[in-house]
Amino acid sequence: MRIGQDSILGLFFAVTGCIALWISVQYPFGTAGRMGPGYFPVIISSLLVLTGIGVLVRSIAASGDAFPEINWKALIMVPAAVVVFGLAIEPLGFLPAVLLLLVLSAATSIKFKLDWKAAVGALVFAGLCTVLFIQLIGLPMPVLGTWLQ
Amino acid sequence: MDIFNGLLLGFSTATTFGNFLYCFLGVLLGTAVGVLPGLGPIATISMLLPFTFGLPVDTALIMLAGIFYGSQYGGSTTAILMNLPGEASSVVTTLDGHEMAKQGKAGRALAAAAIGSFFAGTVGTLFIAVSAPLLASLALTFGPAEYFSLIVLGLITSMVLASGSLLTAFGMALFGVMLGMIGTDVNSGAARFTFGTPNLLDGLDFVVVATGVFGLGDVIANLENEKSRSAGLAQVSSLFPTREDWKRMAAPILRGTGIGVLLGVLPGAGVLLASFSAYALEKKVSRHSAEFGKGAIEGVAAPEAANNAAAQTCFIPMLTLGLPGTATMALMIGALVVQGVQPGPEILTQQPALFWGLVVSMWLGNLMLLFLNLPLVGVWAKLISVPYHYLFPMISVFVAIGVYSINNSVFDVYMMAVFGVLGYFFKKVGAEPAPLILAMILGPMAEEYLRRALLISHGDASVFFTSPLSLGTLIVAALLLLSIVSPRFRKVREEGLQEAD
Repeated sequence: MRIGQDSILGLFFAVTGCIALWISVQYPFGTAGRMGPGYFPVIISSLLVLTGIGVLVRSIAASGDAFPEINWKALIMVPAAVVVFGLAIEPLGFLPAVLLLLVLSAATSIKFKLDWKAAVGALVFAGLCTVLFIQLIGLPMPVLGTWLQ
Repeated sequence: MDIFNGLLLGFSTATTFGNFLYCFLGVLLGTAVGVLPGLGPIATISMLLPFTFGLPVDTALIMLAGIFYGSQYGGSTTAILMNLPGEASSVVTTLDGHEMAKQGKAGRALAAAAIGSFFAGTVGTLFIAVSAPLLASLALTFGPAEYFSLIVLGLITSMVLASGSLLTAFGMALFGVMLGMIGTDVNSGAARFTFGTPNLLDGLDFVVVATGVFGLGDVIANLENEKSRSAGLAQVSSLFPTREDWKRMAAPILRGTGIGVLLGVLPGAGVLLASFSAYALEKKVSRHSAEFGKGAIEGVAAPEAANNAAAQTCFIPMLTLGLPGTATMALMIGALVVQGVQPGPEILTQQPALFWGLVVSMWLGNLMLLFLNLPLVGVWAKLISVPYHYLFPMISVFVAIGVYSINNSVFDVYMMAVFGVLGYFFKKVGAEPAPLILAMILGPMAEEYLRRALLISHGDASVFFTSPLSLGTLIVAALLLLSIVSPRFRKVREEGLQEAD
């Protein structure tokens, strides 16, 4: 069997549905007149499992579109840069976190070069963001975090 | 309060210096971000959300609305000049708009879009003023069964309109409902699907999911075709439509407006259906139908009018029933809840200044767009041509700041990263995320109304069929589902949605 879009998506629905169903059956189900916290989740997750199986069956029956190539670099780098922002914002503060996110995500591009122009540009942008979000809009975030004060 | 007094109140609310300024800022920022290729209204609103924090509720709502139609307008500019639709509803604009631009008539295409949008916006706003109070008083008589049926209709419409197969869209909607159920169950107080973390007790923030899937997911996906990305930007010529243009676009604008106003109210249909139907209708009735696809001005004016009319009237179900009709409106509700406002039929009686101020500011915003955008089109064209490798790091920064600023929660930032990956995954497997986003807001509402309806009827499900309104709504939903099975409609849907891909 060729791995197509549908086989992956069907598997995703079915597995998510199974996990959700397994969790929901542990909540009190109740009756139709008095629905417990488990009533609706059990119905929805069962439907999700069935839909997943349906999509899987379709993927075997018909030759759908093949799974396209994945850009692993962007898929890992961009979310990782966001996670770094999350890790940095409290200990390091707003300005360093923005700078890190900017440079790390920019590094994903094939056109990225770290020269002095890019560095100055990043610094200026991070500075502008700080003025805009903290001085003008007044978001309650420290410019420099606890580690740098 | 009658409409006249309402509009007077609205004018006095919308024209205070602060509200006027923020309406202007919203429209300006919305357009500036909306013209950037690949950024639709959802990504734009979630990026600009922090700008509305700390504002009074009415100002915040006015600014958000400005951002919304500003971004839509910006999307059309990009569609015409660059052949890059920011969202599905501006796809039809690219068909003839970009053709016109290639023939050196970009300015006239932009003007047609602007004039059509303004006229449609005016009619749409008037329609809200007339019909929203009626609908809101009607909505007060709605019981849980009616609400449940309306939600079902909204979800089914959004599934039918999603590109790709119906089964895929159904799965996406179910997954969205599951995401919506994360958090504390309002009725029993049970913590559901929280995986033991207190961060999830309040549920997944809707804005976090939308920003991840649409903002970050798009960034990841766009980085793929970096090498093949070509920025062919058309030159803007004279902005004045000729006398011939006026003659040709008057009737299409009228028809487009009519279609847009009506379809915008339909839950789940929104802007997309309006612009497609208007284009299809013009192609049928126009005397110049041979020119369609080769740069017919009717093919720009009609869908743009429909698009903007629907963008106004899709506020109606959101404001009067508290039910979002589209993913964008779901995001608006999310933003309102952040502000501490729960949209619903009571909003008109309890916060009339909020409602009427919004209605009037919508019209003012459209007026601003007309006078702001045509002269500034050179600036927008410059913005469009900013290379993507400069743009996307800034987008990542803005979405991260936006999400963090909602609750000052690092957990939200991590969740956004996760949903960015999921958004990319959905794109790769050809599953459209719009039903997921809508279902995430509508799912928990559906559960609550289902529970109440069945509690009143002692578990008897026939309540959904004994109330005429509920029955009617369910019949419409069933017809929609049936229509998709019929081969004739199927062909139309596939053609229409193919153009959207």
